[in-house]
Amino acid sequence: MTEVLSPGTIEEAVAMLAEYGEAMPLSGGATLIAMRNAALVEPSHLVSLDRISDLRGIDRTADGKIRIGAMTRHCETAACAELTGSLYVLRRAAGMIANRVVRNMGTMGGSVANADPAADYLPALACCDAMLEIAGADGRRSLSIHDYIDDWYETALAEGEIITAITLPAPVEAPSTYRKIARVSGDYATASCAMALDPDGQGMRVAIGACGPGPLRDRAGEDALRGKLGEPAAVAEFAGKLVAIADPVDDVRGSAEYRLRLIPRLVSSVLSELTTQKETA
Amino acid sequence: MSLDQPEPIFLGGTVGKSVAKPDNLEKVQGRAEYIADLYRPGMLHGAILASPHAHARIRGYDLSEAMQAPGVVAIITGDDVGEGRMGAFIKDEHAIAKGKVLYVGEPVAAVAARTEEEARHACRLIKVDYEELPAVLSPEDGLAEDAPILHEQLADYIKVFDAGAEGNLCSRTELSEGDVDAAWAECDVIVEDEYTTQPQAHVSMEPCGALAEVDPNGRVTLWSANQSVFRVQANVCESLGLPMSKLRSMTPRVGAGFGNKMEPHIQPITVALAMKAKRPVKLILTREEDFEMVRARHPFRVRMKTGAKSDGTLVARECEVLVDCGAFADDSPGVMGYSLLMCGGPYRIPHMKASGKLVYTNKLRFGAFRGFGNPQVLFAGEQQIDQIGEKLGLDPFAIRRKNMLREGDQWFVGPRIGSNGLGRCLDAVERASKGSRADGSPRNFGLSVTAHISGLLGTGAIVKMLEDGTISLNTGATDIGQGSDTVLAQICAEELKLPFDTVAVASPDTDGSPYNWGTTASRVTYTTGRAVKAAAKKVVDQAMNHAAEMLECDVDDLELREGGRIGQRGSNSDVTFAQISGRAHWAVGGPLVGSETLVFDEPTHDPKRAIALGLPFPRIGVFSFAALGVDVDVDDTSGQVTVHEAWSAADVGRAINPRLVEVQLHGGFVQGLGYALYEEMVWDGARLANPSLMDYKVPTARDVPDAIHTYIIEDPDPTGPFGAKGAGEIGLNAAPGAIANAVAKATGARHVHLPLTGERVLAGMLDPGGPQD
Ligand SMILES: Cc1cc2nc3c(=O)[nH]c(=O)nc-3n(C[C@H](O)[C@H](O)[C@H](O)COP(=O)(O)OP(=O)(O)OC[C@H]3O[C@@H](n4cnc5c(N)ncnc54)[C@H](O)[C@@H]3O)c2cc1C
Repeated sequence: MTEVLSPGTIEEAVAMLAEYGEAMPLSGGATLIAMRNAALVEPSHLVSLDRISDLRGIDRTADGKIRIGAMTRHCETAACAELTGSLYVLRRAAGMIANRVVRNMGTMGGSVANADPAADYLPALACCDAMLEIAGADGRRSLSIHDYIDDWYETALAEGEIITAITLPAPVEAPSTYRKIARVSGDYATASCAMALDPDGQGMRVAIGACGPGPLRDRAGEDALRGKLGEPAAVAEFAGKLVAIADPVDDVRGSAEYRLRLIPRLVSSVLSELTTQKETA
Repeated sequence: MSLDQPEPIFLGGTVGKSVAKPDNLEKVQGRAEYIADLYRPGMLHGAILASPHAHARIRGYDLSEAMQAPGVVAIITGDDVGEGRMGAFIKDEHAIAKGKVLYVGEPVAAVAARTEEEARHACRLIKVDYEELPAVLSPEDGLAEDAPILHEQLADYIKVFDAGAEGNLCSRTELSEGDVDAAWAECDVIVEDEYTTQPQAHVSMEPCGALAEVDPNGRVTLWSANQSVFRVQANVCESLGLPMSKLRSMTPRVGAGFGNKMEPHIQPITVALAMKAKRPVKLILTREEDFEMVRARHPFRVRMKTGAKSDGTLVARECEVLVDCGAFADDSPGVMGYSLLMCGGPYRIPHMKASGKLVYTNKLRFGAFRGFGNPQVLFAGEQQIDQIGEKLGLDPFAIRRKNMLREGDQWFVGPRIGSNGLGRCLDAVERASKGSRADGSPRNFGLSVTAHISGLLGTGAIVKMLEDGTISLNTGATDIGQGSDTVLAQICAEELKLPFDTVAVASPDTDGSPYNWGTTASRVTYTTGRAVKAAAKKVVDQAMNHAAEMLECDVDDLELREGGRIGQRGSNSDVTFAQISGRAHWAVGGPLVGSETLVFDEPTHDPKRAIALGLPFPRIGVFSFAALGVDVDVDDTSGQVTVHEAWSAADVGRAINPRLVEVQLHGGFVQGLGYALYEEMVWDGARLANPSLMDYKVPTARDVPDAIHTYIIEDPDPTGPFGAKGAGEIGLNAAPGAIANAVAKATGARHVHLPLTGERVLAGMLDPGGPQD
């Protein structure tokens, strides 16, 4: 039998996780409860983060950054008016997760912690250069999203640590969006693309999902591409670099070959969508 | 074809009206009772241990640890089930694996315990000693010279249908008409290709389940999710060696079947557990088990060749199929034979040859699934019709109209065609889909036509007039959600000129119901409807005799009046059904009961025109017809196909309940769309890689077009009840062919493999002329 604990503060929660070795944090439960029912995990305790008010809400900090509490549900992120311009990509990704039922349950903290390589937040957060706020029994730290994924389903989160919030740089006026290729509505991505143009329209940030253990991002390549977004050959060369760092799998959603084929197609079609938006804006 | 004398339809009656299903309310309120909702005193819960091997000999079991586990009352294995074997065509299947396992997921042992959790826990403690054997994972491998043999005693099995079973070959069928080999010389255009289709899972909302109880005299009562209480009775009794009189089979509400619940699933295991535990046992499969253990649509390899003259007249077609049977014959010989019978499509093709081999493999059994082999061959055949049209400059409607079967024609091999509204189906689809989209953009239009039978085998009906003149109807046909109870009650009410709600439909029960082969082959409205109409007519006749005596007049002077009255023509005087039934119950003649049984008995094969070897259905059924048009979008980036709009027209003879026909056409189309675009059971070696709804995707409401237009064409069949023919499968058949034709229009590439995933379609877009993987 699994016991459910309901701490009221972050400190209590991490203390409980430290105390019971077989304990796991419980957020929306969309993934964790299904895994437990299928006997894929057998935790002794579930530390529910539900009552911790510090984990809730989307706020703008004094320096203009956006702070999203780990317990923010997908449906809230999908409806959040603060996520505009360069951050719209995250809002759009949230609205494309699974279906309404799952979006009403699942949380950003749970999704990021779960680190499914095909999940929608990871590429969107990578595109936004997000920072993760993490708490453990030894204190708090923050970590760049780019340093978060270690390997397939392996992250920089240590045992007993929880994600408390995700912070994003202040939004700037520049179009961004998220494109997801999935077999049917509600499926995990076969491949996905998060993209934001620079405010001057000369460069872009792009992260590809579901084509490796974590989102693919090539910041040096992006720098080299600045000023050349209108040159198909340069864009193709850049996309080729993403293909080169991709490490996709063959699975029921598509072959590795298909995913490699999708990367440059996603980059060029999402780019043309955003540049058209920029021009008509 | 119209009736010589159109049957007068009683105006104001219920036939032809979209009466709401009486069971709608309990379903939307969550109060309908399925197996999961049933409980019996002292009931235990069952769980199954599945084989981890595709092919292995069972050397022995160690049950000691499992028997000691908390809550365990009984465990059964192959040692508990005797030598009996079941099977609709070849009796090759024990109640539970015995001696050998033949696929990953095959039930090897089952536990009855106080709770489901305890039963599942104990399953994990059972030890089975296996000697692994090399496995056969494809029909090609199964036919190899040195292939391991699945059924070593195949020669000794009882065969209801024997068509060359030997080694791993389960059956072979060869049908031919005319002289195909000579006919190619007459053809100006020939297209030929090889196609493959994938296994599809039924994904009924309700997984398979059963509840069995043994009374003190040893008689078994069995409730299960099924499409035929009688096939359940036969299968359980054959596999467990019980006389059929020792088993009563019933069914509560069923959460869909699509073919998956026609033949046995876990009913024999549940009964064996209850007999051993001497307590009631309920066993329900998980979604994953339902995928891995039960059955699925056959993957086909189809080689097809079609030839025509330069004016578009079809001359010859040859079709050769290689079919994966899975581990047990189940309905497979029927599916393969039927696919060959249908492979010419609803066309006049004077020279036809169709042949097939069905091969045992170490996979779960493939079996009946809405469409029954027809969608697989149509995917090939309907593309070839378009390709010939393209070469000759004939549009898809024109080439089909030119070649379609007409009134009075026979189907390939010989069956009689009754009514044929195919031309009107084509008209309806053409008229509605003409022109461009609402926004002015051109359509990517694809068309396919199809025919399907409704008929087969035995059925019956008992109509009882109750004391107050209301009616009890008992047919033994299982309503699996499609609404047959409603339709049969409408037919009964119409014949008796009673309001629909005066007819109560009894739940199927082998003790009380007349035989019904099953809810399958699009047959219930047509065959059972005939029996209901005839049985109701007998009750009317009996009532007439009473009325003649009561009104002291001649029967010929009487008329049946609306609302349960019989009166003298030209006079106001009449007697009510209540008065008549009261008299019959208490005074004269005895209670009014009308019953009818029949078996579909028109021959399939006409030896004067065709040669048929290994024909599985010597008497098959009447033909329904349909045309399906679709307009698709193909995503430039991913190659993914979405259907923008669909037009489905079907000749169902007469729609007893138009709304229920429409929803069959909708549902069939959506299931066919899933089959055409997304659904595929994938094997990773011997193990199913995607046995869950997370990994196996069916279309959601957001993946189907908002506009699926349906057109009901009524060309009454002279033998059908009020002219009705079947509507259950015909809406699915044409989907893959129509969608493939539309994709070819959009991308310029022809596809020979299903499903048409984004991956395949993108490859086609990038290289339309190249070989399509
Ligand atoms: C049917 C279905 C479809 C889905 N489709 C998609 C999809 O298309 N795209 C997509 O991105 N996702 C999809 N998901 C996943 C969904 O977004 C989940 O909600 C999410 O992955 C987990 O969030 P949760 O809040 O429910 O976490 P939980 O299920 O509560 O937890 C998930 C895991 O994270 C751990 N955890 C939870 N919170 C924290 C925390 N704050 N810090 C550290 N560890 C934590 C838990 O211990 C557990 O191991 C789908 C899920 C389902 C059930």
